[in-house]
Amino acid sequence: MPLQQLQQFVSLIYPLKEKEWNAFAAIWSPLECRRKTILTAAGETERHLYFVLEGVQRAFYIGDDNKEATLVFTYPPSFAGVADSFLTQTPSHYFFETLTASRFLRTSYRQAEELMQQYPNIQRMVLNVTALALKGVLVRQAELQCFSAEEKFRTLLKRSPHVLQLIPHKYLASYLGIDPATFSKLLGSKKI
Amino acid sequence: MKSFDSLSLLEQLQADTRQLIATATFLKNEDPSILLEQPGAGRWSVIQVLEHLNSYGVYYLPALKNGLMNGDAAVNIFRSGWLGNYFTQLMLPKEGRVKNKMKAPKDHRPAFHVDAQPVIETFLQQQHQLLELLELAKQKNIGIRIPTSLTKLIRLKAGDTFRFFIAHEQRHFVQIENTLAEVRNTTGKFQVAHQAG
Repeated sequence: MPLQQLQQFVSLIYPLKEKEWNAFAAIWSPLECRRKTILTAAGETERHLYFVLEGVQRAFYIGDDNKEATLVFTYPPSFAGVADSFLTQTPSHYFFETLTASRFLRTSYRQAEELMQQYPNIQRMVLNVTALALKGVLVRQAELQCFSAEEKFRTLLKRSPHVLQLIPHKYLASYLGIDPATFSKLLGSKKI
Repeated sequence: MKSFDSLSLLEQLQADTRQLIATATFLKNEDPSILLEQPGAGRWSVIQVLEHLNSYGVYYLPALKNGLMNGDAAVNIFRSGWLGNYFTQLMLPKEGRVKNKMKAPKDHRPAFHVDAQPVIETFLQQQHQLLELLELAKQKNIGIRIPTSLTKLIRLKAGDTFRFFIAHEQRHFVQIENTLAEVRNTTGKFQVAHQAG
């Protein structure tokens, strides 16, 4: 069942032939975690790629002023982990943790790398996944620099209205880089 | 005797270690005068607590490494030894609190420090070594016995040594949290959040 969710997700990004899919399907194993489990610490190199089946996770950075910046949320269906550390196999600057009890499929860099060497289409699929992630990062980068608190808030609700129910609001505020009090005020002023 | 799925146990211990890394990262950015202040006569500063933990890392990390490197391949189930389990339970904070105070052995009583950063850096380095060892341990039989720092005559299973070592750190992080709260109160400094969630 979980593999079907992965297959469906992958087929929308880059359809694989049967042989390629069978090889790809074979490298995943299930993992369950409680809430607030840190799966990668800053300074560690990301060993795993995750596919989220259940729950919400976030990657965050601890700044010099001890301010936490939430960089990205993940929830089903999507890949998760510290992407740049995984792809470059260099130490992560970020922490990756579950916010709620979570279920994943998980594979290792070594296994994924082996398949990418062997099957050009799997490499292309991973490139597409990375490209889409990069696209998302740049859109967000522009928003963080150009938008007011209110614009950021409205854009988030328009793009992903469901996150209000899914993710504790203090993390959403941290994601937008706005004060939690400002976030509540904006939420209060909005008719839902 | 208490038994664990070896892999799940090691992954949980890794998650616990990463939590300690996150909290220590917040300490790195804290005002050094807060970290170096003793909350009372004869009581340890935050940095002294970390130095105390580092002194155990100096012994246990190489001891674990040697034991595991020479050990056999992994087995699925880890059966905790009675003494190892007892020591771990003794150390573990209960509901985030520590009620049974203990006295540190002579050679683990920390010196007075003037510079906070190197002590925190050493602590963080040790935790990353610990994560590596826990990763190595996934390939090894963690039933192999490791001599304790107390006496070479008492040898705990590697799985219990990890549990006990990390529980000891968690115990002292409760102390760190309390010390910070106390020191900030007396100095009237602006309070900085130091724990996620």
